[in-house]
Amino acid sequence: MAKTYDYLFKLLLIGDSAVGKTCILFRFSEDAFNSTFISTIGIDFKIRTIELDEKKIKLQIWDTAGQERFRTITTAYYRGAMGIMLVYDITNEKSFDNIRTWIRNIEEHASKDVEKMMLGNKCDLQDRRQVSKDRGEQLAIEHGIKFMETSAKASINVEEAFFTLARDIKAKMDRKIDSTGPSKSAGYQLSGKDGSSSKKSFWKSCTLL
Amino acid sequence: MASEAEERQRLLRAVKKEVKQIMEEAVTRKFVHEESSSLTSLCAAVEACLLHCLKKRALGLFKYGSTMALLQKLSKVFEPAAEVSKLVSDMESPSSTELSGSRKSLDNNKNQTKKSTSSIPSSPKFLWLRVAIFHKKLAKILDYLVQNSSKYYEVEALIADPVDGPIFASLLVGPCALDYTKMKTSDHFWTDPPADELVQRHRIHSGNHAFASPGSPKRQGLQVRRDASNAQEEARDPKTFHMSAREYVESLHQNSKLTLLYGKNNVLVQPENKEALAGYLSLHQSSEGLIIMWTPNQLMNGCCEDSREETDRSQYWEFAMTIYLDEVVYIHCHQQPDCRGTVVLVGQDGVQRPPIHFPKGGHLLSFLSCLETGLQPNGQLDPPLWSQKGKGKNTGKVFPKLRRKGSRLSSSTSSSSSSTTSMDEEEATDYVFRIIASFKPDMLTPEMLDPKAPRSSHSPRNLPNSTTPAAPEERAPWPVRRQLPPSPLVRSSVQAYALSQEEQNESCLVQASNDATHRYYDYINHIKQLCDIMTKQIISRAFYGWLAHCRHLKTVRTHLSGLVYHVIVAEDDPIDASDGLTLQAWDKLCCDGVVKDSGEVYRRVYYGGVCHELRRQVWPYLLGHYKFGSTPEEREGLEAAMGADYEKVMSEWLAVEAIIRQRDKETVAANLAKLSQESTDGHIPLVRKDSSLSNEVFVSFESEELSRPETVVEESSTARTTPSSDRKTSMELSITAASTSSMGGIDRAVGTETPPVAIVKKDSVHRGPSQQESPDDGLGGSFARGESVVIESERPKTDSVGDSGILTPMTPRSLPADVTDRIQMTAKLSVDSAVEDGGSVGGGLDSASSTGGGKSRTGSATDDGEQLHQQQGLGSGKIEGGLTVEKCGGPGSRVQEYEDALVSSDASDHLSASKESLLSPASPASNGGIYSAELLDSVALNLHRIDKDVQRCDRNYHYFTPENLEKLRNIMCTYVWQNLDIGYVQGMCDLVAPLLVIFNDESLAYSCFCQLMKRMSCNFPPHGGAMDTHFANMRSLIQILDSELFEHMHLHGDYTHFYFCYRWFLLDFKRELVYDDVFSVWETIWAAKHMTSSHFVLFIALALVQVYRDIILDNNMDFTDIIKFFNEMAERHNAKQVLKIARELILRLQTLIDNK
Repeated sequence: MAKTYDYLFKLLLIGDSAVGKTCILFRFSEDAFNSTFISTIGIDFKIRTIELDEKKIKLQIWDTAGQERFRTITTAYYRGAMGIMLVYDITNEKSFDNIRTWIRNIEEHASKDVEKMMLGNKCDLQDRRQVSKDRGEQLAIEHGIKFMETSAKASINVEEAFFTLARDIKAKMDRKIDSTGPSKSAGYQLSGKDGSSSKKSFWKSCTLL
Repeated sequence: MASEAEERQRLLRAVKKEVKQIMEEAVTRKFVHEESSSLTSLCAAVEACLLHCLKKRALGLFKYGSTMALLQKLSKVFEPAAEVSKLVSDMESPSSTELSGSRKSLDNNKNQTKKSTSSIPSSPKFLWLRVAIFHKKLAKILDYLVQNSSKYYEVEALIADPVDGPIFASLLVGPCALDYTKMKTSDHFWTDPPADELVQRHRIHSGNHAFASPGSPKRQGLQVRRDASNAQEEARDPKTFHMSAREYVESLHQNSKLTLLYGKNNVLVQPENKEALAGYLSLHQSSEGLIIMWTPNQLMNGCCEDSREETDRSQYWEFAMTIYLDEVVYIHCHQQPDCRGTVVLVGQDGVQRPPIHFPKGGHLLSFLSCLETGLQPNGQLDPPLWSQKGKGKNTGKVFPKLRRKGSRLSSSTSSSSSSTTSMDEEEATDYVFRIIASFKPDMLTPEMLDPKAPRSSHSPRNLPNSTTPAAPEERAPWPVRRQLPPSPLVRSSVQAYALSQEEQNESCLVQASNDATHRYYDYINHIKQLCDIMTKQIISRAFYGWLAHCRHLKTVRTHLSGLVYHVIVAEDDPIDASDGLTLQAWDKLCCDGVVKDSGEVYRRVYYGGVCHELRRQVWPYLLGHYKFGSTPEEREGLEAAMGADYEKVMSEWLAVEAIIRQRDKETVAANLAKLSQESTDGHIPLVRKDSSLSNEVFVSFESEELSRPETVVEESSTARTTPSSDRKTSMELSITAASTSSMGGIDRAVGTETPPVAIVKKDSVHRGPSQQESPDDGLGGSFARGESVVIESERPKTDSVGDSGILTPMTPRSLPADVTDRIQMTAKLSVDSAVEDGGSVGGGLDSASSTGGGKSRTGSATDDGEQLHQQQGLGSGKIEGGLTVEKCGGPGSRVQEYEDALVSSDASDHLSASKESLLSPASPASNGGIYSAELLDSVALNLHRIDKDVQRCDRNYHYFTPENLEKLRNIMCTYVWQNLDIGYVQGMCDLVAPLLVIFNDESLAYSCFCQLMKRMSCNFPPHGGAMDTHFANMRSLIQILDSELFEHMHLHGDYTHFYFCYRWFLLDFKRELVYDDVFSVWETIWAAKHMTSSHFVLFIALALVQVYRDIILDNNMDFTDIIKFFNEMAERHNAKQVLKIARELILRLQTLIDNK
C-alpha cells in the first residue's frame, strides 16, 4: 500500500563523451566522486528520491554513452524523458560547440515539452577553462534554457541543478494536471513565480556580464 | 615458532583488510550501518585475534573460547570494559540465551527478512564487539589488553607480541572513530533494492538448489511449475504464503499456468465478523478446472516492495480466498435494483462462502457469463445463462430472468426454466444457479454412476477409461454433483474432452429411449459409435500435436540451425577436456614448437580454458594470428614483420598527431587569449609575421629535402645516425641544423636552454606518461618519441615545457604569439637533444632516407614552385618557420594551412604554399606529406576520444600504469589510423585492454586485436548491423528455450528488444566480468567458433539471463529493473557457472535440431 514516491521523473544526461556525465550522476546519487569511472557503454541509470514541496519525487536518471556513434541507441531513451541535462566540459570547447547538435537531437527525438537544462561541468578546473561562463549563458539564453556551471568533483551545483530541473518538471506537471483547481494553481503560480524570478535575475546577470 | 609468527601476521592482515573495508564504506557512504556485513567481518577478525593464544585459565570458569568472558573479566578492572559489559547485558536481558559472543547465532539475514521491524537483532554475532565499536570503546579496551597482555595471554599470542599487539590495537582506532547508525537513511527507504539484495533474497527464499541450477527452461505447454493444490497448501501455511506473496499476486495475472477468464477490482467480500473488504476478484482456468480467487487490495498493491509492510499485511492473507469451483454446487445471486450484485457460493458440504459483492454495473452478469464459458465443456450452469437470451424475450437483456429464490426448491427441474421465464415480467432479483459438472467420465466410478452390476460389467470393455457413461434417468432429476478428489487426476485432456463430448451426445440419445433392453441394445450401439469417433478424435489430436511439434522444430531449425554447428563434440572423448589446456597438455601438443592438432586445442580450451601461464602462447593461435602447424621460425618471422609494420604505421600517425597537437595548441591559445582578453592590437602583426615566416621556411624545407640534398648534407647525415627509423627525426635534425646555421632571437633563447634538456634526455629513454599529463608539450613529445619510435623521453618534454614556460614571460608578445613561440621552441629543444642523442648512437639510417625518398617523390610534382619558395625561404632565413615545417615535412604544410586560416592572407609564397598543400596529389594515407583538412580533423577527433578513453580505461586494474596505458593508446591509435573509416568507437579500448594485459607487447597485442576486430568491428556503430542480429537471435532463442521468461519480458513493458544486452555483445562481456573471467570467457568464445558455434556470445548472454531468470520473474522486473540489475551485477557473475550453462544450452539446441 505504501507508495514510496508521489512522482516519478525520468531524466536523461547527454553530452559529449568524457564531459563528466557519469560523475555528475554519481555525485548526485551517491554524493561521492569517483575518478576511476570508465566510459559508459550502452546505458545505465541511477535513482534518487528527493523531496520537493513535501512531495517525494523519484528521479530516475539515465546516463548515456557520449559518443555520437551511440546516438541511435541513446535516442531511444529520449522519448520517455521528462527532463534532459545537457552537459559540456568547460575545459573542452568542442564539447561546448556540440551542445547545439545535442539540442537539435533533442528537438528531433524527445517529446516537445521536455524540460532542458545546460550544465558546464568541471568548473573546478579554472586554470584549464576554455569556455567562459559568459558563453555558456549566452547559449542558454539563445535556447531559452537554464544554465549552471557544475563540478562533480568539487560538488558544486550538482544538487541544485537536479533540484531545479525537477522543480521545473513538477511545476509544468502541476500546471497540466491541476489547471482547474484554484488553490493548486495558486500554488503553482507561486512556485512559478519563484522560478521566473530566479530566471529573471539569471537573465539579468547574463546581460550584465 | 615460525608458524606462530605466520599465524600472527595472517590474523593481523585479516584485521587490516576489514578495517580498510569499513573505512572505505564510511567514506563512500558517509555512514556505516550497524548491521553492515563489513562490520560483522571486522568483528570476526578481531575476535579471531583476541582468541589467539588466550590463556586457558585466564577466563576461569567461563566458557572456553568466548571473548565475552574476557570482557567480563576485564570489566572488573577496566572502566570502559565495564561500561560495554553493562550495555551488553542490558541488551541481552530480553534474550539471555545468547551470552557467547563467538557462538554462531541464527542466521541474521533470515531474521532480518522475516521481521525487519526489530531494531536490534535478537542474537547478533559478536555482540560485545559491536557494542564496543558503536560506543567507540573497543580501541581503548584492546589497548588496555595489549598493555596487560601477560595476564591473559600466552607469550606467543598476537596481543602479547611487542610489535603486533600495539599495531592491532591502533588498527581499531579508525573504526572506533566512525559513526554507526541503525537507522536506514531516508534514501535507503526510497531506493529500490540493489541487485545484491535481490540475489541474496533469492538465495534465501529459494534455497540452494535454485541457485545452483537455474530453472530449466522448457517449452511452455510441457511444464507445470506450480499447480493449484500447491497454492492451497501455501494458503494453509501463512508463513510460506507470505514468503511468496509476490509470486501469488503475480499468479493472479494472466500467466502460463492459469488462464485469466475474468478479473475485477474493488469487489467487496465480507469475511466472517468483519466489515467488507475491497479486493480483486479473478476467475482462472487451470487444467483442473475453474478457480475463483479474491485478494484484498492491501495485498495487491506494491506487494513486497517494502518489507515493513509485510507484517501489517499478513493478517490480510487470512482473508484471501481461493475457491475451487469443483467444490461449489450452488451459486446464489442477489441482484440489487441499483445493478449491484451479490454472489454467494455454496459448496457441496452446504457451507456458504463469504458473500461477494460486485460493484454497480453489469459486473455480476459478466462474471457469470465468464463463469459459464469457463465451465464448458465439462460443466455448465443450470439453468444456463444464455438459453434465456435465446428465448428472445423482449427484454433484450443478456442477464437471464431466472427462477426466484423461492422457486428453487419446488420447481427445480431443467424443464421448469420455461415456467420461470413466464415470471420474467416481474423484476426478479434473486437467482440460484447450480453448477452441473456435466461429464467427466473418467472421474466416475461405476458404482457412483450405476449401481446395476451387469451394465457396468459390460461397459468397461468398450470404454477406454473403464468408466460407464452416465445414465441420466437413473440418477437424480439432474446430474448429481460428484464428489471430486481435490487433487487433479492424471489424464489426457484430449481424451477427456472427446469423452465428454460423446457423453453429452449419448446422454441425449439415451434420454430418448424408455425401454431398458432397447436401451441396452442402443447403448452398445452408441458405445461402438462413440468408440469410433473417439478413435478418430484421438488419432487426429495426436496427429495435430505431432504436427505442431514438427512445425516448432522446423522453426527452430530454420531460424536457429545457423547458430550452432550440428556436430556435437564430446567433452570427454577421447579424454576429459574439463581441465582445459594445461601445461602438460600443451607440451604434448606442441612438438618442437609446432602445434598441429588444432581440434584438440580448441576442444580443451572450449571445455576448460587455458592455463594462465600459457595464454600468451596460445591466444595468438586461438585468434588466428598464428597458424596451427607453423614453425617457431615462421612465427618469429611473422612477429618481426608485424613489429616493423606496426612501427611504421605508428610513425605515420605520430607525425599526424604532431600537427594536430600544434593545431590544438593554437586553438587553445586562441581560446585562452579570448578568455583572458589580454591580447592587444599592437601584437597582432607579430603573430602574422610569424606565421608567414613559417610558411616561407616550410616551403624551403621541402624543396631542401627533395631537390637540394647537397645543401643539407650535414643534416641528413646526422639524421642517418639516429637510431630511429623514423623520418621525422631526421627532419627534426635537419631543423636543428638549419636553426643553428641561422638563428633568430628566439633560437638564441632556445639555445641557452638546450644543454640541460639534452642531458636529461639521454638518461631517460623510457617513454613517459607526460603526453597525457600535459597536453601542452605534445609537440615536443611527439618529436622525442619519433626519435626511437617506441621510446620517448619524458623529462625533455617537461623540461622543454618548463623552459618555454620560463621563456614566455620574457617574450613581450600577445598570448597567441607567445604560444606559437613556445611551440617552436619546444620543437627545437627536443630536436636539439635528438641531435645529441643521434650523435652518440650513430647507426641506423635506412628508413629515414627511404621515407625521405618517398616524400621527394610526392613533392616532385610541385617541384618548381617549391624551389621558388625554397629560395625565398632560405633567403629570408627565418628559422622558426623552418622548424614547423621540418618537424614533419608534409604535415608541416598542414600546419601552414591552419595558420593560413588563422592569419589570413600574407605573403604570396605563403598562399601558394597552402594551395600546393591542398592540391597535392599525394594521398593522405601515404604519409607522403600532405593531409587534407578533413583527414586531420577526423584524426584529431579520434585522438581526442582515444585519449579520453585510454585515460579512464580500467584505472583500477593494477596492470594499467601510465606506461602501459601509453601502450594501450599506441595500439588504439595505430588501429584507428589504419581504419579511419571505422574510426574510434567507445569500447574499443576495452577490447584491447585484456589482450595487452596478456601479451604485454604492443605489436603482438595489436595484431591480435586486429584479428579480434574482424569479428567485433561489425558490432560497432554505425557500421554495425551485427547488434540487431544478436538481439534478434536472442529473441528467438529465449522464445524457444524459455518461453515463460520470454512471455514475462513481453508483458513487462516488452523488453524483448534486448537492449540490456548491448554492452555484453559490444564488448564480449568484458565489462560484465572481472579480468580473470574475461580471459576465460574470451578464449572459450574463440574456441567455440571452431567447436560448436560461432555465436557463442549469444549463449553466454542466454546463460546470464538463465542464471537470474527466477530473480527476474520473482521480482517482476521490467526494462528499467533489468538494466539496473545487470549493471549492478557487473563483475559479480560466476563466470564458470555461466560458461557451463552456455555450453549446456548449446548442447541442448544441438540435440533439439538433431532430433529427427
